[in-house]
Amino acid sequence: MRRLLAGLAVGTFLVAASACGSSDDSGTSDMGTSSGGTTTVKVGIIPIVDVAPLYLGRQKGFYGKRGLKLSMTTAQGGAAIVPGVVSGQFQFGFSNMTSLMIARSQNVPVKAVANGVASTGLAGKDFGAITVKKGSALTSAKDLEGKKVAVNTLKNINETAVRESVRKAGGDPSKVKFVELAFDQMPAALDSGQIDAAMVVEPALATVKSQGGTEIASSLVDVAKDLTVAMYFTSTQYEQKNPDVVKRFQEATAESLAYADAHPDEVRSIVTSYTKIPAAVLAKVTLPKWPAEPNRASIEALEKLGEQDGLFKSAPDLDALLP
Amino acid sequence: MRGANAALGTAGLAAFLALGEVAPRLGLVKAAYFPPTSRIADALGQEATDGAFWAALGDTLTGWALGLATAVVAGVVVGLVVSVVPYLREATASTIEFLRPIPSVALIPLAVLLYGTELRSVLLLVVYASFWQVLVQVLYGVRDVDPVAEETARSYGLGPWARTRHVLWPTALPYVMTGVRLAAAVALILAVTAELVIGAPGLGARIAVAQSSQAVPDLYALVVVTGLLGLLINVGARAVERRALAWHQSVRGEVAV
Repeated sequence: MRRLLAGLAVGTFLVAASACGSSDDSGTSDMGTSSGGTTTVKVGIIPIVDVAPLYLGRQKGFYGKRGLKLSMTTAQGGAAIVPGVVSGQFQFGFSNMTSLMIARSQNVPVKAVANGVASTGLAGKDFGAITVKKGSALTSAKDLEGKKVAVNTLKNINETAVRESVRKAGGDPSKVKFVELAFDQMPAALDSGQIDAAMVVEPALATVKSQGGTEIASSLVDVAKDLTVAMYFTSTQYEQKNPDVVKRFQEATAESLAYADAHPDEVRSIVTSYTKIPAAVLAKVTLPKWPAEPNRASIEALEKLGEQDGLFKSAPDLDALLP
Repeated sequence: MRGANAALGTAGLAAFLALGEVAPRLGLVKAAYFPPTSRIADALGQEATDGAFWAALGDTLTGWALGLATAVVAGVVVGLVVSVVPYLREATASTIEFLRPIPSVALIPLAVLLYGTELRSVLLLVVYASFWQVLVQVLYGVRDVDPVAEETARSYGLGPWARTRHVLWPTALPYVMTGVRLAAAVALILAVTAELVIGAPGLGARIAVAQSSQAVPDLYALVVVTGLLGLLINVGARAVERRALAWHQSVRGEVAV
């Protein structure tokens, strides 16, 4: 009886919630089905500079001419994007490589389909770096031993990268105290001395620099030359059912990435359409690289480091993951 | 008396705003993280000229209103049925006590799996959180029915429907209205939280974008907007409560004082 009632109660909410939501069904559900020759695909992204090529490509018609209509949905990080893609809410998503490899190693059916974003490969001129506050005594990654270092997510790509920087500088990464902090909170935490160093990416990097903070290592560069940091992915199920849509998305994204790489000014201007990065900060932001193809060697290097740090339950199958 | 209160309230707010202006300017707090009031007001002004801001406000209010309406209807119906049907109350009590404390935000993974970043995700969280506020008040309200009045109605031959209409409902209504008022505030909190965490369109999502963009004054401006919204909703809910309970001694008493 009790269980029945609990079921009824829960059912009531679900029915009520879906009944109310049905008013907007017309436009949002049944995504991925074609209407009039155009396929609408929902892409789960994080509102950051890295995904600018998608907006640029949509504006330039690279997707439209292939019969794709992109509907960008901003989510707060991979927490919503990976389950969103796997459950079919989004057809494609944007995620960093370590998260994708972790998902794959746990048998989450994800498939990377198009390159996302890459490090510039230039130490000291990358879009991510380990930073310290103005006047800090820390000058190299080796000095981080015994210090509090902030990363946006523990046991993920940035922790791996910081560990590698420490290792390369001759230090012991196991002595670093990692703390989890959102990128946007890092400048303030660094400034007030709550943390000794922070692994930040743009635009927080530009903010730290504007406060007089300095870079002590370009960790993404330390992992591998021209590291493929993130990629667009889909679910294996969607890929198998819609190989044609995936192919068109791949082609259009490759074209968008190449275009974005060649037109940094247009990138900076389109970024203002979906983020609120202040103009003064945006002018100082170091743009990442957008090669059309992922760099497999760099992903293998990232995988090796991840394994070393125990991020994976079992080694992810890169052949199955990568396009 | 009323005027003096209003004057005091205004003075308090003015002092608060002045403090917000002065503290960063004197360097007591970092202007980069706590912008002075005037900078926030400036950002607020810019927001107001942006169509996307009004669309986000509309999204938040839609999620709030639909969620609240669903929760109120479901809460009242379930509450009445559970109270009126014999034994149902005892049978459901422990289930309700088990489900009620589950924080709505703990359902975020479920919401994302079911509905992604759509409005329905927001509704799931909003309805779940505000439903209990109403339900529990209805249960208390029905329990408060005077047994003598109930027996009197029975002995006059009033049927179940008439007894609900003339005895039960008037007794429960003040409780229901309290539940609605509480639910209205909870619904707003959950709507903004869902948008903030899941990324469903609305003010919360806009706050998240401002946050990740390092646009600090915009961030505070949007937070101020949610605060104002909460204030308006509370004022509105009180007005509705007063009107619905104009006949009740709690409200009549208030007026007499």
